This record gives sequence, C-alpha cells and structure tokens, in this order.
Amino acid sequence: MGEVMLQVADLAVTFRRGGDAVHAVQDVSFSVAQGESFGIVGESGSGKSTVLRAICALAPTSAGTIRLRDAPLATPRPARFFRQVQMVFQDPYASLHPRHTIDRVLSEPLAIHGFDRREERIERALEEVGLGGGFRFRYPHQLSGGQRQRVAVARALILEPEVLLLDEPTSALDASIQAEVLNLLDRLRAERGLTYVMVSHDLAVVAHMCDRLMVMQHGRAIEELSRAALAAHRAETDYTRKLLSASEGYTPAEAS
Amino acid sequence: MTSLLTIEDLRITFPSRQGPSEVVRGVSFTLGRERLGIVGESGSGKSQTGRAILGLTPPPGKATARVLDFDGTDLRAASAATWRRLRGARMSMVMQDPKFSLNPVMTIGRQLMEALKFGASETRAEARTRALAMLEAVQIRDPERVFRAYPHELSGGMGQRAMIAMMLVAEPDLLIADEPTSALDVTVQVEVLRILDRLVSERGMGLLFISHDLRLVSSFCDRVLVMYAGRVVEELKASELTQAQHPYTRGLMNCLPKIEGGQRPLPTLERDAAWAR
Repeated sequence: MGEVMLQVADLAVTFRRGGDAVHAVQDVSFSVAQGESFGIVGESGSGKSTVLRAICALAPTSAGTIRLRDAPLATPRPARFFRQVQMVFQDPYASLHPRHTIDRVLSEPLAIHGFDRREERIERALEEVGLGGGFRFRYPHQLSGGQRQRVAVARALILEPEVLLLDEPTSALDASIQAEVLNLLDRLRAERGLTYVMVSHDLAVVAHMCDRLMVMQHGRAIEELSRAALAAHRAETDYTRKLLSASEGYTPAEAS
Repeated sequence: MTSLLTIEDLRITFPSRQGPSEVVRGVSFTLGRERLGIVGESGSGKSQTGRAILGLTPPPGKATARVLDFDGTDLRAASAATWRRLRGARMSMVMQDPKFSLNPVMTIGRQLMEALKFGASETRAEARTRALAMLEAVQIRDPERVFRAYPHELSGGMGQRAMIAMMLVAEPDLLIADEPTSALDVTVQVEVLRILDRLVSERGMGLLFISHDLRLVSSFCDRVLVMYAGRVVEELKASELTQAQHPYTRGLMNCLPKIEGGQRPLPTLERDAAWAR
C-alpha cells in the first residue's frame, strides 16, 4: 500500500438543536492510501454520508481529527483543500443549477481557483467524461440523468483533485446507466491515479468499485473488510451478513 | 388459474408539440392470483401501465385498449360510480414515495380510517382496531404512536409501511405496487416484501409489482414482463430469467455489478433501434 492520503481518526459528528443532540457519527476511524478506492456502506441514517460531509466541513466535526497527506485540516477549509478534494453528490437532478449552462457550471470552479486556459480545460473535461463539446452550452434539463451525473463528475475533476468523495453517485440512475458511470469512474481512477472514498447503500456497487470497505450502523463503524472477504461472504458481524443476504434479492422466509 | 385482470392491446398516448406520442404501445397480459413483475428502465411505460389499470392516466394522456377487464367488469366504460366502488376496496396502488403520496396535513390514523370508510359497514371502534392491527401487520412496532402521527413525523421506511397498510386495510383483490421498496433500505425492503408475499399466498391477492430492479423482481415474482420503449419485449418465468432470450433483458442482467466480483469494465447495454419497433 502506498502513502496514506486521507486519515480519519475517532471522528464524531453531533448535531445539536435546542436540548436535543443527534449523534450522527461516533468514533469512526479509517485511512485511505493514495490511489486506493475505499467504500462506506450502510443504511439510511447510518451516518455514512455525514462522514463524507465532515471531511469537506459541510458537517460540523465535534471530535476527532481528519488529516490529508498527514496534515491536519483547518476549519473552515482553505481554498487549497478543494483543489485536492472534490465531491460528487447523489442526485444529479438537484446538484446542478437549473438555470446555469454546463459551460457556466464548469467555469465557475475554474474562476474561483484562478485557473488559466479555461476554454481548453472545459472542452477537455467534457471529452473525458464522454460528453463532447456539443453539450457545453446546454442546460441541465436538456440532459438525461446519466449525462447530468457525468457533468457532476466533470465539475469535480476540472480542478484536478487527488481525492474524489462520491456520495451514492449512481443510486438515482437506471442499471444500464449506472454501469456506464461506474466504468467512467473506474477508468478515470486508473488514468489519473485518483483516490476515491465512495458511499453507497448498494453492496454490489461498492464491491465492484472499492478495494476495501467499512460497514456503518447507527453512526458507528462496525466492520472493515476487503473486497475479497466480501466476495467470499466472510463477514464478521451479523449485521453485515444480514446486509449481504438482503442484497442477494428476496428470500421467502428466514428466522429473523 | 382464473384471471383477475385481462389487458389486451393497451395504448397510452400523450399529446405533444410534435403530435401525439405513444408511451405504451400495445401491452397485453393477464394477471391471476399471483405475483407478476413488470421490469423496465425509466421511460419504458411500466408505471403508466399500472396507472391505466386504475384509470389514473394523468390528463391530457389517453389510455385505450381492446380489452381491459377486471374480474368481469369492463374498465374501459366504467362510470365514476363504478370506479369509486372498485378503487381502494377491490384494487389499490402503492406508490413509490411516501413523501408525496400521503396527505401531509392528516394523521396516519385518519387516512387509514378514511380508507376503511368506503369498505364494510362497521363501527368506528371496530375500524380503529382493524387499522391498528394492519399497522402491526406491516411491522410497525408502535402502532398507537404511528396512528396519531403526521407523515412528516415518520421516517421514509415507516411512511412507506403506513402507506402499504392503508392500501391493504380494505383487503383489495388486486394490488398494483409501483416501486414500493425503492426508497427503502435493503433490510426493510425484505420485510415489506414478506408482507406482500403473505397477502398473495394467504389471501389470494393478485399483485402487479412494478420495478426497475431486475434482481429483486426475479427473486420475488412468479412471472416477469420486461418492458422497453412502451412494449413488452419479453415475458418469462422469474426462475428462468438467466435463460432470457431478448438482448435487452440479458443486457439489463449483465450490467449489474456483482458482490462476487466479475468483469471490469462492466458490460454496458448497447441499444438496438430494432427493439423499439
């Protein structure tokens, strides 16, 4: 394994409102090597997306540390951080501004970070995600779900980050489109040596995309296992076994 | 097997600027007291097919068919009174997203009781007992609380189960379930499917299960119809899905990633214009 790219230690995220406290994430630790693809699996409310959001400081970190290339991260995150780490969100229908053209969506991050040769970068980014220049001046409503998600990937990659945080990147897409987007992500990782942290509720998607994965339940990491262990159904905890059998499809009755 | 529902040559058209566009183009099938799955991608016409059976094609869309028969009633010529008698009591539909299908300003209990009002003649107390029992039957642990709760006070999974309870409380003969579990976690999904399964096997309900998830449908249903561009391109027994003949069905099967690992890159679906003809 290469150099450690991202290290999360004893992370806790607590949301407070009035007297209530919701412990969304508790004592989560993991590290991801450079060029590795790491998966986080869990059901809704398990805190898996909150972990990604905490890395980007979109959720408040109440305890623990997050280190990128062995340097602790400052809050709020400096602009430099977003050139290294970018995020792709779940719903391509909600994550693209409906009244901005694709060109504007892609040129905004370039302008913010003061990149040069913007024209060229936009053309290349669209080419890389398999859309081509013809899509440049369209609006999101003129694109299909799969095409929108490609734009979201292009927007994340246009800053040439090293780490991509993927929050359920294909769960809003049809199976055939999902395969295309997964292939695209796989190819980009191989070509650019990217590091992925991918969140999904779909074990099969994570098994396909990730070298290692962590299972979360009720805000805690309950198990970490390798792709090979998952493929061989060698799970340590009951919960992971339950997830595994549920994702195989429907079974009429079992003692549950 | 006696058939509960017979459909022949169902067509649904929507007017558009380019002239009428046909989203369902000649769908025929029969449904007995069994679990029939309809699988297809977004835009294949599967949901519109389900809605048309209940006469819920949204205007300005128009549904026409040569035969549309539910247990001896011709649905094509059904009057408003006939529909009122059928919907809810004898046939009902579970929609995909509880957030949009439950009334946000009514408690779950009131909505359940409303569904019962059109059913058998019984006292309020009896209806309440039956509603609570139904909530319990869909694995809601605290039925009294959920009965009093408003939809926004429930999680997605709870809301979906409450909606299923609402549709089942009148004990319909036909249930059309449009992606009933897509918004649910996998472990909850299995529980909801068990409830539906029990209703089919114990009460002899007919179930039309509409889903995009081929793997789920093949493990749950008896028969599967595969729809593409408004047509049924293949019909097969769920157990024989691996021997599917149509390239579209096979493409859909192959492009799913597998836990056991498999090909990389994943095979993608090459669409053939001839399938849509």
